[in-house]
Amino acid sequence: MPVLPMPPLMQNAIEPMQVDAPPNEDNENNEEQQIVVENPSIDLEVYANQYNGIVRLHRLMYVADVCPVLAVEALKMAITYVQTTYNVNLYQLLHKRLSDLNASNAPAPPAPAADLAPVPAAALPDIAAVPAAIALPPLAQGQAAGEKDSFAYDAVWVDTKMKKAALKLEKLDSDLKNYKSNSIKESIRRGHDDLADHYLSCGDLTNALKCYSRARDYCTSGKHVVNMCLNVIKVSIYLQNWVHVMSYISKAESTPDFAEGSKEANAQVHTRLECAAGLAELQQKKYKVAAKHFLNANFDHCEFPEMISTNNVAVYGGLCALATFDRPELKRLVIASTSFKLFLELEPQLRDIIFKFYESKYASCLTLLDEIRDNLLVDMYIAPHVSTLYTKIRNRALIQYFSPYMSADMHKMAMAFNSSVGDLENEVMQLILDGQIQARIDSHNKILYAKEADQRNSTFERALVLGKKYQRHTRMLVLRAAMLKSHIHVKSVTREGSSNHGAELCVSAGSTTTAQLARM
Amino acid sequence: MGSALENFVNQVRTMSASGSFRELADDLPESVSLLARNWSILDNVLETLDVQQHTLGVLYVLLAKLHSAATANPEPVQIIQLMRDFVHRNNVEQLRFAICAFYETCHLFTDYLVQKNLSILGIKIMARAVDQIRQIDSQLTPIHADLCLLSLKAKNFNLVLTYLDGDITDISTAAAECKTQQQQQSQHTDANNDAKYFLLFYYYGGMIYTAVKDYDRALYFFECASQPRPMAMSHIMLEAYKKFLMVSLIVEGNIAFIPKNTQVIGRFMKPMASHYHDLVNVYANSSSEELRILILKYSEAFTRDSNMGLAKQATTSLYKRNIKRLTKTFLTLSLSDVASRVQLSGAAEAERYILNMIKSGEIYASINQKDGMVLFKDDPEKYNSPDMFLNVQTNITQVLDLVKQINKMEEEIILNPMYVKKALGSQDDDLTSQHPKTYSGDPTD
Repeated sequence: MPVLPMPPLMQNAIEPMQVDAPPNEDNENNEEQQIVVENPSIDLEVYANQYNGIVRLHRLMYVADVCPVLAVEALKMAITYVQTTYNVNLYQLLHKRLSDLNASNAPAPPAPAADLAPVPAAALPDIAAVPAAIALPPLAQGQAAGEKDSFAYDAVWVDTKMKKAALKLEKLDSDLKNYKSNSIKESIRRGHDDLADHYLSCGDLTNALKCYSRARDYCTSGKHVVNMCLNVIKVSIYLQNWVHVMSYISKAESTPDFAEGSKEANAQVHTRLECAAGLAELQQKKYKVAAKHFLNANFDHCEFPEMISTNNVAVYGGLCALATFDRPELKRLVIASTSFKLFLELEPQLRDIIFKFYESKYASCLTLLDEIRDNLLVDMYIAPHVSTLYTKIRNRALIQYFSPYMSADMHKMAMAFNSSVGDLENEVMQLILDGQIQARIDSHNKILYAKEADQRNSTFERALVLGKKYQRHTRMLVLRAAMLKSHIHVKSVTREGSSNHGAELCVSAGSTTTAQLARM
Repeated sequence: MGSALENFVNQVRTMSASGSFRELADDLPESVSLLARNWSILDNVLETLDVQQHTLGVLYVLLAKLHSAATANPEPVQIIQLMRDFVHRNNVEQLRFAICAFYETCHLFTDYLVQKNLSILGIKIMARAVDQIRQIDSQLTPIHADLCLLSLKAKNFNLVLTYLDGDITDISTAAAECKTQQQQQSQHTDANNDAKYFLLFYYYGGMIYTAVKDYDRALYFFECASQPRPMAMSHIMLEAYKKFLMVSLIVEGNIAFIPKNTQVIGRFMKPMASHYHDLVNVYANSSSEELRILILKYSEAFTRDSNMGLAKQATTSLYKRNIKRLTKTFLTLSLSDVASRVQLSGAAEAERYILNMIKSGEIYASINQKDGMVLFKDDPEKYNSPDMFLNVQTNITQVLDLVKQINKMEEEIILNPMYVKKALGSQDDDLTSQHPKTYSGDPTD
């Protein structure tokens, strides 16, 4: 402890320089998502260990973005992890974020400190009580910094890593040149891949993508092509370029070797492609297709922590299926599916939700959904879609609830959906207006009546409307024909010859006549 | 000078007597300036000519009189009297040789009346003129627009509605007429005037229908007015487009028929009618409050375009539309609930709206005064009454008539030698350039 006063000073020396940045960064975050997660119940350690590579960093950063409670911890884990890679830029960025966070928390230290360093937090009030209040911030800083000494900015590490990265890059580059001069295809391909791997490790995604794509020209077997596709898909996912992902998935699937090869051998590739496709479709808001892709994943071969975890597959697939499938589909594709059952075992809460939904126990289903909401919101891929999916699930539940009845008591219905009669009325009204429920509300007695559609009447109605439209359309056509025949069309008049009042039709000329006559 | 006028009178008399009207019609335009210069003694000239026998001569004298109206400042009653005499007693056979001049006379006359605020006196005269000059009932002439303008100015629509209700299948244009008659006239301005009068007819027609609250028809007219093949945009089209958007909101609640010339709409109309597009977007949110605020915000622009009345009607129509939406979702609803859902000020106002709508047959409902509930009912129409049968029947007949007409038009095209030539793929360019006007294009494209 007595040795400690030095680091805090250094830390303070660094801080003022970096304080300039935060307003900017905060704004950015606010624009991207207003999601703020208060109390997620996830274990960050376990969560992070599901992934490796850049995904882990991205996910941790996302958690830090949306969840103030876990922000510091997430950033620290990210920093620890980033030190195993060559990603110096990210390291610097993370450090900046961490120190920003500390800076903004310093005036009110209890929050972050309580999490990480219970002892100083407890000691703080005592110190604050001391008249020398000015001494507080540096002191608190000192205490906190003491605990996280290992997370101090390591300039030496940065330098060495940068040098190493440059060296490695040079070596790989020259290797590649050698291969190229020898023009051995296989070696060139590998050279490209190695280079791309290195770029990836440095966090330079665009260059990584470029190198992986370049390997394409040197693929000699179908397997290589598939491999190349997988690499490109991986990087495209990091870059969130979903269109790219989709096109490379189809490219991989149409590779002859892959299409013809035995299912068993390709199972892993297949699952990987399905998961990538599901992810891409999910991001493009095509939930149903996404659900189908996720459901096709094979549990035994679902091991690619650099992309997505098995838990994710379960959650994404389950939620999308719940939101878009009808009852028979849900039964057949989700509940009765042996392969997806294994996924669901990982997420018992979600499994319960799906079963409760299928058993029409909507109240408990919706409560459970609300419980896992916070956990979903810290997931970078599903978070933007959570509210849409939840609304869809709720609407589906409402529709399913009402479908067997001729009339339903809205009090009971409200009870089944844990909401008030008034809110329910509004929800149901919206559904009726959208044509999803054929019913009408008796607001006086609070009863929902199903409306029997009179096919004959509606047919008549439609026919008459259509007839009117046809007449209108045809009249217009006849008129148009007459216009063409008499060569009536508006064109600009050259201005010099415009002594006549025809010039009023010219685009720029003011039309006194019309303006004057337009009022009535 | 006097002798020149005498010459004119003599020329008219001799040529009319010998029946060489075509030559006369070709010669007369040159003397218009002469006549206009001598505006003070034109009455004397008129006395020497008989309307029935010397229609052409009288026509040109009238034209000259109207041309000089600004300087001469004649007695309006006299001009109107002259014009009335002329349209009632002229010789249509002779008139056909100088349709162009006749159109011009009518336009000038109309302008004159509008200036003098005597529009109402001209309606009958113009109606008579239209009757005389059109060859078939479904022909549109440039003076239709004048008739509409006068009716609109006089706020008297009974007469003009009969002209508007019929469909137009043929268009008489000054350009086509003049081509056969006076080669020297510049084609360019005429063609544009034709387009102008065509647009004006539909624009005024739309306004007249709006005034008599026949919104469906008004919508049709405004759409016509904003739809011709555009190579440039006219202000008439723009104004028509603005009104089209407004009326469309009132009738349909959204923009159902979007005119096809999207390029021009996108390039010129959208930016110039941006207020209106904002209005349409807000209307789609079905929030009366937002709509009211927006109209208030743009009220200056709307007033400038004289569309404030339409904007206010759009607000009312939104209230009604929202009430109608309620009928789809509710069986019973209390009046105060209606008011809060439709954003009306209170139960009393909601009751008034609902009452009006029930009266006009827009919704089917009954109000229970005792506990303030509205009971919405279904449309009682079961499509099994004789009336409905008749309705369907007439609709079918109308459609069949239209189909017949289309077939006839198609036949005409098929029989057109130019079309046959083109269809057969022969590329005889000389022939094409010789008769550029005979091939009228495929109307179905």
